[in-house]
Amino acid sequence: MKKVRKVSILSVIIFLCSIFWLMPLLLIFINSFKPYNDMMQHFLALPESWKLDMYIETWTKFKFPMLIGNTLIYTIGTVLVIVLLAPMAAYKLARTKSKLSVVCFGLIIMPMMVPFQSYMITLTRLVANVNLTGTRMGQTLVSIGLCMPLAVYMIHGFVKNVPLELEECACIDGASKVRIYFSIVLPLLKPILTTVVVLDTLATWNDIITNQLIVGGNAKAMNIQNALYMQFSAQTSDWEHALPGIVMSMIPSLIFFVLMQKHIVGGVTAGAVKG
Amino acid sequence: MKNKKINDFLLFALFVFPAVAFVLFATDIPFVMNMYYSVFDWNGVGKSMKFVGLDNFIKIFTNDKLFWKGVTFTLKFAVFYVVIVNIISLTVAVVMSKEKKSSSVGRAFYYVPYIISLTAISLIWKFIFGPGFEALYNITGWEFFNWSWVGTPKLAFYVVVIMAVWQNVGFYMVNYIAGIIAVPKELTEAAKIDGANSFQVFRKIMVPMIMPAVSICMLTSLTFAFKLFDIIMVFTKGGPANSTVTVAYNIYKEAFVNNKYGMATAKSLVFVVFVLIVTAIQLKVTKSKEVEA
Repeated sequence: MKKVRKVSILSVIIFLCSIFWLMPLLLIFINSFKPYNDMMQHFLALPESWKLDMYIETWTKFKFPMLIGNTLIYTIGTVLVIVLLAPMAAYKLARTKSKLSVVCFGLIIMPMMVPFQSYMITLTRLVANVNLTGTRMGQTLVSIGLCMPLAVYMIHGFVKNVPLELEECACIDGASKVRIYFSIVLPLLKPILTTVVVLDTLATWNDIITNQLIVGGNAKAMNIQNALYMQFSAQTSDWEHALPGIVMSMIPSLIFFVLMQKHIVGGVTAGAVKG
Repeated sequence: MKNKKINDFLLFALFVFPAVAFVLFATDIPFVMNMYYSVFDWNGVGKSMKFVGLDNFIKIFTNDKLFWKGVTFTLKFAVFYVVIVNIISLTVAVVMSKEKKSSSVGRAFYYVPYIISLTAISLIWKFIFGPGFEALYNITGWEFFNWSWVGTPKLAFYVVVIMAVWQNVGFYMVNYIAGIIAVPKELTEAAKIDGANSFQVFRKIMVPMIMPAVSICMLTSLTFAFKLFDIIMVFTKGGPANSTVTVAYNIYKEAFVNNKYGMATAKSLVFVVFVLIVTAIQLKVTKSKEVEA
């Protein structure tokens, strides 16, 4: 009897902690509706009214429509190109046995072994050399390039377990190689593609470093994270605008999380091998 | 025959080269450029690049206190972070691995911080440790809330640890849960019938069986710790008094604040070697402890 109780006490503590774990987010949320004086005097209390005034002011003052638009362009652009190109490359690399294939695979997965910070300086130089600094195009291209290695690596591992017979059958039936890929192989890759989409969506939406490096202070091409950083990370902060801004930047990730919860938990674990 | 070969090559090129092109542009070429620039003295803007051979590397190892301060901070952070985050997430995983409705809600709660951007997280904690603690001090009067958390080097270290742990526990928890679920039920039940208590079951059966999950979590937490950058850039900016400068942040500052590109690229190379060595050692150690089911 004693043993059972010991276990359940631990469970109770862990469950209570899970609520405590969310405290910082809850505090940000309730305080985002308060004027600064109220935050300081009634930090833990619910706001007197749930008026959206500060949200609307932040939305217009900091040009949120444009920020969200930019971030969406980067996220959707990256995910679309990755979903088109990564499985093609991974499939062909897994099915071709040649020196060229080994070299190409090596070039694609090399970045997974070295930390991003070790080439970010020269990446910034390279983007400047081809006149893409501060542009949406530059940001999207870099973002695709950075997401590609893990995507190809994961799909490559998956393709190796797809049976060859299916393709051979289609080949005998006279289908072209390109057609075989699009109508037979690609549909089989759906599970791993979902994982890749989840990982790359979160990575691109939440990205700050590449946007800071490539776009910097250029307001037109900033993403939402970079804008929050530029506006609010200085010493004296304008919390009345910062808190609604933070909350608005998180809402899309949270909605995405709720919709894709099952895939996110599975998908992020699958990506863990990257390290 | 020759025609078929050309056809095969064209098909290969069509499928593979676009992906390779993106990776070359964003990572491979910059990485090679990095090696090239590391032997120059260059400010990143001007045309005057002076070849200095291995001088940059010699300077790093003999005359760069800030870099080594960064290394010390990064190592200290790595030890604290790896130990704390793995203990918490393993404990949570043990409780949350039971198939109940409440577990899935609990898991989601722990997981939410992981999907939020580091920018938002840094700003959230900046608010909590700043105005939040001030307000809590006014309410409770506890001296604990009145300490200058972000202003004193010693406490700022713990602030960084707390933020990093808070954000990532969910991720490691999910990995551990996957490991725990994969442990065959017969093993634990047999042990219980033989009279083992829950701690013994955990110690003697669970721990050896989930070693693969442990090695993944150790490895990812270690590499995360070494690469720590975003939190520092957004929140502490290396302060107070350079006490929270990590290796990665030191490299970033060297290039973009001090405009010493050659030096910064040399440091990047040292950083790569450092990360590769430590992860190799770590992989070897944990791999040797894994057992087969």
